[in-house]
Amino acid sequence: MTLVVVEHSAGVISRASWEAVAAVQSVAPDGEISLLLLGSGIGELAAVAAARGVGPVHVVEDAALGAYTPDAYIFAVGAAVAALRPRLVAMAHSYQARDYAPALAARLGAPLVSDVVGLRLENGELRFRRPMFQGKLAAEVRAVGDAPTFVALQIGAFRADGVKSRTDGGASSPVERLTVDFTGFTNRQTAEPPFREARQAVDLSQAERIVAVGRGIKAQEHIAVAERLAVALGAELAASRPICDNGWLPMDRQVGSSGQTVAPKLYVAVGISGAIQHLVGMKGARTIVAINKDPDAPIFEVADYGVVGDLFEVLPAFTSELSKRSR
Amino acid sequence: MTPVTRETLDVDVLIVGGGPAGLACALRLSQHATQAGVSLAVAVLEKAREAGAHSLSGAVLDPSTLRDLIPDFEAQGAPIATPVTSDRVYFLTERRTIRLPIVPPPLVNHGNSLVSLNQLVKWLAERVEKAGVDLFTGFAGQDVLIEDGRVVGVRTGDRGLDRAGAPKSGFEPGVDVRAKVTVFCDGVRGNLTKQLLARFPLADGREPEQFAVGLKELWEVPAGRLPVGRVVHTLGYPLRHEEFGGGFLYGFPDNHVSLGLVAGLDYQDPLFDPHDAFNRFKRHPLVARLLDGGRLVRYGAKALPEGGWNTIPRVHLDGALIAGDAAGFLNSMRLKGIHLAMRTGMLAADAAFDAVQAGDTSAGRLASYQRAIDAGTVRRELYPVRNVHQAFGFGLIPGAAFAGLALLTGGRWMQDLAGHAGHARMRTLQWYHGLDVSKHRRAGRVEVDRQLTFDRLTNVHYSGTAHREDQPGHLLVDTTVCTTRCGPEFGHPCIRFCPAQVYEIHTEADGTKRLQINAANCVHCKTCDIMDPYQVITWVPPEGGGGPQYNGM
Repeated sequence: MTLVVVEHSAGVISRASWEAVAAVQSVAPDGEISLLLLGSGIGELAAVAAARGVGPVHVVEDAALGAYTPDAYIFAVGAAVAALRPRLVAMAHSYQARDYAPALAARLGAPLVSDVVGLRLENGELRFRRPMFQGKLAAEVRAVGDAPTFVALQIGAFRADGVKSRTDGGASSPVERLTVDFTGFTNRQTAEPPFREARQAVDLSQAERIVAVGRGIKAQEHIAVAERLAVALGAELAASRPICDNGWLPMDRQVGSSGQTVAPKLYVAVGISGAIQHLVGMKGARTIVAINKDPDAPIFEVADYGVVGDLFEVLPAFTSELSKRSR
Repeated sequence: MTPVTRETLDVDVLIVGGGPAGLACALRLSQHATQAGVSLAVAVLEKAREAGAHSLSGAVLDPSTLRDLIPDFEAQGAPIATPVTSDRVYFLTERRTIRLPIVPPPLVNHGNSLVSLNQLVKWLAERVEKAGVDLFTGFAGQDVLIEDGRVVGVRTGDRGLDRAGAPKSGFEPGVDVRAKVTVFCDGVRGNLTKQLLARFPLADGREPEQFAVGLKELWEVPAGRLPVGRVVHTLGYPLRHEEFGGGFLYGFPDNHVSLGLVAGLDYQDPLFDPHDAFNRFKRHPLVARLLDGGRLVRYGAKALPEGGWNTIPRVHLDGALIAGDAAGFLNSMRLKGIHLAMRTGMLAADAAFDAVQAGDTSAGRLASYQRAIDAGTVRRELYPVRNVHQAFGFGLIPGAAFAGLALLTGGRWMQDLAGHAGHARMRTLQWYHGLDVSKHRRAGRVEVDRQLTFDRLTNVHYSGTAHREDQPGHLLVDTTVCTTRCGPEFGHPCIRFCPAQVYEIHTEADGTKRLQINAANCVHCKTCDIMDPYQVITWVPPEGGGGPQYNGM
């Protein structure tokens, strides 16, 4: 028997889990398949899963399974495997599977084949295809060791609409409750509510005005001088490579061939000599103002306005003049 | 960190490096397998993102080896730019050009062709892939796998590490590629061959390796500047008689000119700057007139092995062979190495195939490679000129005289000359320049006009080099001697010999000096690994796929 671990979130069974079912069916169309559904308050979901008619749906419900944690999944899937004794345990190669499946397989001393893109039978034995060398090569592997074999199937490698119902009349498969004794189980993890990464990377390409600092700024504490000008202009702060390389500003503020390409209306280059690597990232700016001590700096070749001078004198003067005007 | 599980890949023959040697080896192996009707798993690892992207040479090709490998290479569309139509050799002084009345015989290129090595390698790679060999581009060999004193394969580099070496979300550990025979074709100062030389007594009784660095630019010039197929070599300026090397100018079709300067990495003056010398070369009237009104297309730099026959290490060991530039198969008298790289690659293939079929890949069985080298054209070409580079250690004129004598006698009855490792010849500032260094001409740089001459950083841009910024540094430098010893004694030669401005000395606000390593600028030339006087720089491959993009070079 093959057990497919079904993944779900927000009350919906993931498509990738149906892909896993289709994958298993592709090698053994008549083989016995059971689904395993873990969670808390998932009676309705179990009915939805059973309606597909691929095989019995085993449900493990416990408060510990409410939000995903690797400890609880390893415990519950392990218990289900012990009770149902499948020969093959299949699942989508999802982040969850990557998280708990290796630990579970190791705990059971069972083989795990991950990121599988194809299955075939040879003399009754399963062969798994999986990519190597970042997909440049496909390897065919076979699992060695005692049952069960864990297999995680690459998402998108099989078609979910290829799932075949085994109940011709369209009747549901049975839902079977599997009792797992959670007493004595201690969970070392607690799940926080899911959230979206809040901090957006700075998108300098959308900025109308940019003040960019280069090596001429000399020390990290001096960046504040340029920052004040940026605030006065309502501009984003950017930098050339050496500044980000030193960690004085984050990498996402780097302009140039190894950073972002920008085309603002105003680009103020502060202490930037104008290496070609920087110029290719900002030469599309409409107006370029360059402030540099070295009159021969190549930045002046692309600048519309150039100030030859010490930026520690020029910048504060600029900033104070700008603040006067806005007052 | 938790130990990572690595994938393994088993092959019969693994070739590290997809240059002329590695690809010739791969193709020869597949020819053998087809002929014998056996199946043979051959894999080639290449650190460049695509085949040929890191291949750099002049290049004048002696097509003899290519003809042996692919007899109908012309019909198959090999990218031969043009046959060589005429040779010139000039001696340059700062302002003047003196044409040598005769072209020295080793520099006669009748029957040879001008090629872009980048295009030739790309073309070879297509042949190799068609032959069923797995060519893994974008994968660098990181470490030699050795078990019980036997080479059993190579571990490729990890991918997806951050600057501190911690795995990021896309982390993928390197793969152990295991092979019955591993053929090291990792090029001049290859990082894996370097590991072999450190681990096994391959260089015992051999002369120290000798290197040079070549800087090259490809230009598009106004029509009629240099006849197509013209090969010009120069001696003298901007190098002094104590410095080994010379310049080249090759006339390619479509008004393209390939020009460069090769400088021995055994110079004594710690202030010598190969990039500055290249700029001086370009400002010489002979070159400046040629380039005037033209446009720089590409820039590149690469070290080359110049030591010759007596510096080539033992090239066979248990489970492994070394071929091409990695072992130093280059004729510095004829300024050619591509045909020898391909030849040794093919001979390595012969030996590897025989050993795999016999089921015995020990050093003893693989010694057939050494015998084939000794019995054939490789030794016939290299042995007579075995001392020439070492003779140039005495200066240009004694060197040239010695070279002439070697030619006349075929190198017979000549005593072997001892050489010194190039970095050991560098003198201290005080020894070379006396107490007041600033008075010396070399202390000042040539002016950069950004038309004809460029600063290093601009040149780097034209090399197309790119590396992912967030990865561990691939230049391992023991910086303890930088400011305490190397600075006062040699004036930080790394900032001069690096042709890509990887090394910079920064003065902090409190006056202390610090070495800044711009690893992302690296063009993989290996000069720093070779030339730093304290031998504290180790070049290891950056994440696969990074590096220069020598399109058309």
